[in-house]
Amino acid sequence: MKIPYERRKSLYGYGFISVWLIGTVLWFLIPLIESFCYCFMDNASLKPDTGGMRKIWLSFHGTEWLANFKYAFAADPQFKQNLVSVLRDTAIQTPMILIFSLFIAVILNQEFKGRGFARAIFFLPVIIATGPVYNIISGNIASTGADSGAQFSTLFETDIVGDLLEFLGVMNISASLTDIINTVVTNIFGLVWSSGIQILIFLAALQNIPVSAKEAASMEGATSWEYFWKITLPYVSPMILANFIYTVIDSFTKTDNAVMIRVLAKQRDWDYAYAAAMAWSYFAIVMVVVGIIVAIVNKFIFYEVE
Amino acid sequence: MDMENKNTPANADEIADAVEETVTAAAEAAAEAVQEAAPVSLSDPDHPVASYVPDCAKPDVHEAHEVGEGMTKKEAMKIRMRNMNREEIAYLRKKRIYEKCWPVFRFLILFGLGFVILTPLIFMISYGFRENRDMNDPTVMWIPRNVTLRIMKQTINAMGLTRGITDNNPLVNTIFLNIGCSLCQVATCAVTGYGFARFKFKGRNLLFGIVILMILVPVQIISIPLYDTFRNFFFGNVNLINTFWVMYLPAIMANGIRAGLMIFIFRQFFRGLPKELEDAAYLDGCGPFNTFLKVMVPNAASSFLTVFLFSIVWYWNDYYVASSFFTNKETISTVLKNLDGTLNKTIFNNASAQISAREKIVWLEAGCLISITPMLVLYAFLQKHFTEGIERSGLVG
Repeated sequence: MKIPYERRKSLYGYGFISVWLIGTVLWFLIPLIESFCYCFMDNASLKPDTGGMRKIWLSFHGTEWLANFKYAFAADPQFKQNLVSVLRDTAIQTPMILIFSLFIAVILNQEFKGRGFARAIFFLPVIIATGPVYNIISGNIASTGADSGAQFSTLFETDIVGDLLEFLGVMNISASLTDIINTVVTNIFGLVWSSGIQILIFLAALQNIPVSAKEAASMEGATSWEYFWKITLPYVSPMILANFIYTVIDSFTKTDNAVMIRVLAKQRDWDYAYAAAMAWSYFAIVMVVVGIIVAIVNKFIFYEVE
Repeated sequence: MDMENKNTPANADEIADAVEETVTAAAEAAAEAVQEAAPVSLSDPDHPVASYVPDCAKPDVHEAHEVGEGMTKKEAMKIRMRNMNREEIAYLRKKRIYEKCWPVFRFLILFGLGFVILTPLIFMISYGFRENRDMNDPTVMWIPRNVTLRIMKQTINAMGLTRGITDNNPLVNTIFLNIGCSLCQVATCAVTGYGFARFKFKGRNLLFGIVILMILVPVQIISIPLYDTFRNFFFGNVNLINTFWVMYLPAIMANGIRAGLMIFIFRQFFRGLPKELEDAAYLDGCGPFNTFLKVMVPNAASSFLTVFLFSIVWYWNDYYVASSFFTNKETISTVLKNLDGTLNKTIFNNASAQISAREKIVWLEAGCLISITPMLVLYAFLQKHFTEGIERSGLVG
C-alpha cells in the first residue's frame, strides 16, 4: 500500500478542506441555487401561507419565465427608483471613502504625539458600525439636531459654492456639483463611520512600503507631495483595488441600503419569488459593474515582482 | 544639488536664521537613516550608498578650515549658506514652512474628524443618563440638568437583562452564541485556510472561487432557502428553528457569519509563512495535521486572536441572522432593534405617562449604550490586537 507523495499530499488537502466543503454545500451552495431557482418559480404558489411552499416552475413559453423580473422592473412601484438611487449613492460614496481613508491612513502613519490614541479613535467605527446601534444613533442624532455633520453643512446651505460657480460662468454644472458637495458634507458622519476597515487596510499597506524606497526618495530631495504621488500611491495601488471591492460589497450588503430594505419587505410579505428576482438582478448589476471597473483599474496597478 | 562654489545671495544673513535649524535637523536625520540602513557604508567611501549621502548631510571637508571649533551654530550656518545656490535655499525654506504648518493642520483635521466619530458615544452617554424631562428643556443640549440612573435601570429591565440564566436572558444567549460560534468558526476556518494555502489538489482554484463567492453573496439572498433547510432538517424530520443549532451548525462547518473573509485571511497568512517550518516537521515524521497543530498554529497566534476578536464583534452585532431564525430567542442586537416596541408595551403603556417621541430617545440611547459597552471594553483592552493583528495577518499582500 504505497501512495505516491504527490497523491498523498493532494489527499491531505482534501482532508483539510473537507469540513468546510460539506458545510458549504449544505449551508451555502444548496440555498444559493435554490434561491436562484426561486427567480423562475410562480410567486403565488411559493407563498407559505397558501398551504406550504409549493415549488412550481414558470412555463418556458416565450418570455413567461421572466415574469418575476418583469414584475421587479415594470410593476413594482419602488424597486427601480431604489436601484437607481443606491447605484448613484454608491458611485459617489465609494471614491469619497477611498480618498478619505487613504488620506487619513497617510496622516495616521506619520510620527506625532498621541498617534496611538488617534488610531484607536479612528478604528472605533470598526467595532460599532456593523450593528443595529449605528442606525438607531444616527437616526436619533439627526432628530435632535446634534449632528456634527449637519451643523457643518449649514455652511453650505447658503450655496456659496453655487454662487461661486455661477460667478465663474459655469452655470450648467453648478447644480449637480453643489449637489455632490452637499451630499458629501452632510454625509461626513456616514463617510467617517464607514471607512474604518479601509483605513486599517491602507495603513497596513503603507507600513509595508520598503524602507529603502523611503530613503532613496528623501536623499533625492523629494518633497512630501512628490513622495505621495511617486512612492506611496504606486505601492498602495493594489490595496486601492482591494479596498474598492470591499467598499462596494460592504455598501451592497448593508441592511440599511434601500434595495435591501425593499427586498426584505418583499420577503416579509412572503413574495419570495419577487424578492429573489430583485436580489439577484441587483447582485448581477453590481457584479458586472465591479468586474468592468476591476478589469480597467488592474491595468494601472503597480505590482511588485514577487 | 551640486557643490559649485556659487556666491551667496545678498540676503543670506536673513535666511540663515530661518534655515539653520532645518538643515541641521535634516543632516542629522539623513545621517541617522544612512547609518541605520548600512552601517558599513559610512566608513567605506567607495561603497555606493556613501555616494548617495546628500550634500548637506556630508561633513563639509573643504570647509573644515572655515567652520572651526569655537564658532556658534549660527556662524557655522552662515558659512554653509554661502555655498548654497538659490534652489537649495528655496527648497529648505519650503521644507521649513511645511514642517511648521503641517502639524497644526494635522491636529485640526484629526481633532475635527475625531469629534465626528466620538459624537455618537458622547451623545449616548449624555442622553442615557438624564431624566426624560430634560428633553423638553431647550437650555439642555449636551450636559444634562438632572443626572439619573433611573432610565438605565428601566431599560435594563425592559431589555430582559435581569432575567434568570435559563429564562431566555438575551445577554446569556448572546455570550453563549458569541464565544462558542467564534471559537468553532476560527478553528474550522483556520484548518480550511491552511488546506487552501499549502496543498495542491484538483479543483483548488474552483473551490477557492466558492470562498470568494461566499464573501460576495449577501446573506439576505440565501436566507429564505436556508430557513427552509433548517425548518425541514434531516428530510423534514427535525425542526431546528429557534434552537442554537442554527448558529452553531454553520459555524462548526466554517460557514458562519463572514466565514469567507476569515478563510481568505487565514489562507493569505499561512501562505506567508516559510515552508521550511513544515518540511522540518515532515522529515521528523510528523503527520500533516500534527504539523498544523504543533508548528503552524503557535506561529499564527496573533492572527488567530485578531480573527477571533473580529468574529466576536460580528456575532455580537449580527441582527439579520438572529432575527431570521429565532422567533422566541433573543439576542442583544434583536432586543435592541425591537426596543422601541418593547418600551411601548411596558413602560409607556401607562396612559398617565405621556411620553413624546423626543423623550423616548433617552431610553433608546440608554439601550444603545448598554448593548455596546461590552464591545467598547473589549476594544479598550485589546485595541492593539484589533489593529496590529490585521497588519501581521497578511490581509495585505
